[in-house]
Amino acid sequence: MKKRQWTSMWITLLAVVLVLSACGGKSTGTDSNSASSESGSSTSASTTLTIAAATDIESFDPHNNNNTSSEAVLVNVFDYLIKNDSEQKKVPGLATSWEQVNDTTWRFKLREGVTFHNGDPFTSADVKYTLERVAKDSTLKQNSYFKNIVEVKAVDEYTVDIITDGPDPLLLNRLSKMGAGILPAKYIEDNGFDQFLKQPVGTGPYKFRKWTKDDRVELVKNENYFDGEPKWNEVVFRVIPEASTRVSELLAGGVDIAASIPSTDIARIEGEADKKIVKAPIQRVLQLIFRQTEGSVTADPKVREAIDLAIDKQGIVDSIAGGAGIVTRTSVTPGNFGADPSLYKTSLYDQEKAKQLLQEAGYAEGEAEMTISVSSQYKEPAEVVAAMLEQVGFKINLDVLEPSAFSERYSSKSFKEIFMIGIGNSLFDASNNYNRYMLDEAKGESDYNNPEVEKLLQSALVNMDPASREKEYQQVQQILAEDRPAVYLYQMEGVYGIDSRVNFEPRSDEMFYADEITPAQ
Amino acid sequence: MGKYVLKSLLQVIPVLFIVSLIVFILVRVTGDPVALMLPETATAEDRAVLTQALGLDQPLYTQYMKFLGSALQGDFGQSFRYGEPALQLVLERLPASFELAVAAMFFAIVMAVPLGVASAVKRNTFTDLIISGISVIGKAMPNFWMGIMLILLFSVMWGVLPVSGRGGVSHLILPAFTLGVGLAAQMTRLIRSSMLEILSQDYIRTARSKGLGRMVVIGKHAFRNGLIPVVTIMSLQFTSLIGGTLITETVFSWPGLGQLLVVAVNTHDMAIVQAAVFVIAFIVVVTNILTDVAYRLLDPRIKYD
Repeated sequence: MKKRQWTSMWITLLAVVLVLSACGGKSTGTDSNSASSESGSSTSASTTLTIAAATDIESFDPHNNNNTSSEAVLVNVFDYLIKNDSEQKKVPGLATSWEQVNDTTWRFKLREGVTFHNGDPFTSADVKYTLERVAKDSTLKQNSYFKNIVEVKAVDEYTVDIITDGPDPLLLNRLSKMGAGILPAKYIEDNGFDQFLKQPVGTGPYKFRKWTKDDRVELVKNENYFDGEPKWNEVVFRVIPEASTRVSELLAGGVDIAASIPSTDIARIEGEADKKIVKAPIQRVLQLIFRQTEGSVTADPKVREAIDLAIDKQGIVDSIAGGAGIVTRTSVTPGNFGADPSLYKTSLYDQEKAKQLLQEAGYAEGEAEMTISVSSQYKEPAEVVAAMLEQVGFKINLDVLEPSAFSERYSSKSFKEIFMIGIGNSLFDASNNYNRYMLDEAKGESDYNNPEVEKLLQSALVNMDPASREKEYQQVQQILAEDRPAVYLYQMEGVYGIDSRVNFEPRSDEMFYADEITPAQ
Repeated sequence: MGKYVLKSLLQVIPVLFIVSLIVFILVRVTGDPVALMLPETATAEDRAVLTQALGLDQPLYTQYMKFLGSALQGDFGQSFRYGEPALQLVLERLPASFELAVAAMFFAIVMAVPLGVASAVKRNTFTDLIISGISVIGKAMPNFWMGIMLILLFSVMWGVLPVSGRGGVSHLILPAFTLGVGLAAQMTRLIRSSMLEILSQDYIRTARSKGLGRMVVIGKHAFRNGLIPVVTIMSLQFTSLIGGTLITETVFSWPGLGQLLVVAVNTHDMAIVQAAVFVIAFIVVVTNILTDVAYRLLDPRIKYD
């Protein structure tokens, strides 16, 4: 009797827990969740914007984030002193004007009458606190971008001087990217940083409402935004890591915009009457980086040229990337400081010449053996590259690694002849692309050593004259295009699926400024 | 009985200690979190600064002693990704995974018990063949494929259930079913074979010859004893459901422990991986102890000394 009771108790307990958890689920479920399946209705279409991305934000600390998808959300909550418009031009943000006082000092006039979401006024004290925190705390992921800020002086309530360690032509770029989001000094001082993370406060157009990790971030309109009333009542950023689920959510009308659409799903979305695909070039360039250490096959410039000529880049864009890419011979893309348009949208593809170059380098068919290491996310293009190289007589070992295994090889600089990687650039400045070819940095990785390039790069790092600095970078690009320490395949494009309810022009920095996205009516 | 439970609980300590050591070493030799935390354009110096700031430049044994000292106080360190205490992040996710696992288990029981019993009672008939066929298919279908198919049918084509995310009961149906099907298939076959074994035993014949009704014999005598292996598999599977929701949670963007662990492994967030594996290990050993206790209650022939 007792045992039977026990058995039935077990079953009953399971059922009770299920019912309870389902009820509990109801309370944890948000209204916008049910709205997510109803947001197709015309009543809520202009009030809630729902965007689905593949990865969640890392935290609401703008200084301790380092992925684009985090910044894409955070730009709606925190403002920068300087904003990049959709053309990547610097426009006033929380600073209304700026000037260079001397080689190491910039002066910024701050916007008056701005308040944080909790009502605190925005002043120079907030700028000082923010920038000195990210510049001095080396545990923060953004520290490396800001560590050369020595001090921020509050000249008066609405004027600050930013002092750098030596001339820094990149300061304005740094101040308009992730890590420069202005934090409320007084609020953090009164409540502590942990409390700030639980209830973040910025000056941006949208206020924090709720963050359910790996599920959604919910933001609401900031009625008092200095730049006019925001367009949406609510903005929801959903996290849907699985691409096919993200696409299904878009097709079912649960989201207005779905980011990172795989090339295989483009046709499926375009086949729907009320959905469409929009694309825009992003900062990431897929490339092969060569080891030029003495004795390695790729130390020979003829071999590197043969590799470049053997790869049909446009073919890879068309077949693997679903057309979402732009072939290039440089990693500095248009819109970046120092870009050289002559190397853009071009590619050298000549299999016969590649075979000939390989023979000239002294290698018979199958003799030039190389390992290409690649992170699993770029497995498909790497396989095609390997096949193309084998066609002209190389022998390729493809080494596909899980992201964390790839990271270990990457930081220990222990790749063999070639590694394939997509490199982005959140600074929008050529310097960021070329750190790795400077002597100290190249040591052990590519072992690239070109005194002329070194001289140009060192000079450009501290050159405060934009016109001559731009020329320096253009010169570097021309040399590298011949020298080939790397072969650039293509600039990637961001592919988004959107519902016809909204108008959305994707940006090259991949940000989702909610107010640049408008209801279609 | 009380002594047995106490003894088992004491054995948990070395198990968890060994698990923590293995995980600690594995996450430190398989990748560099700092390289993943910084952009590809970061310099070696940038990486060195952050490595030092996070204490990852110290020798392994020093790091382990520190980790152990803190872990004993319930502190598993800070997540690199979120910058928050790792254990707290893991515990925050348990309810979602638990909800999904219990719902999946519920689906599995509701499907498997009637099918398994029917299959045994009607052995070698057409019914048995159909049920066995269905359970083989159910076991063979990969979780992710099934999840994607269910989303296509129920959400995209018919629009009757939400695609993804966590919310009310409707959000639970597809992921729980996806997670439960494989388990249901396994349980169906297990219930069938264990019922068959019992139905051929002497005491069942005795019960029948006493003139007891068919349903009473099957329900009261056979099914209860047939339940023992089912309890085993249920408890073993329950723990794997908690940890093994990785795929299902990712497919349905269900914000549970599985998804947290997948992201943590991909971003090499050591503290989270350590805390999550520790918590899963803890749940596994405790569940196993509870299973043993349940055995004793179901079958008085099992003795522990």
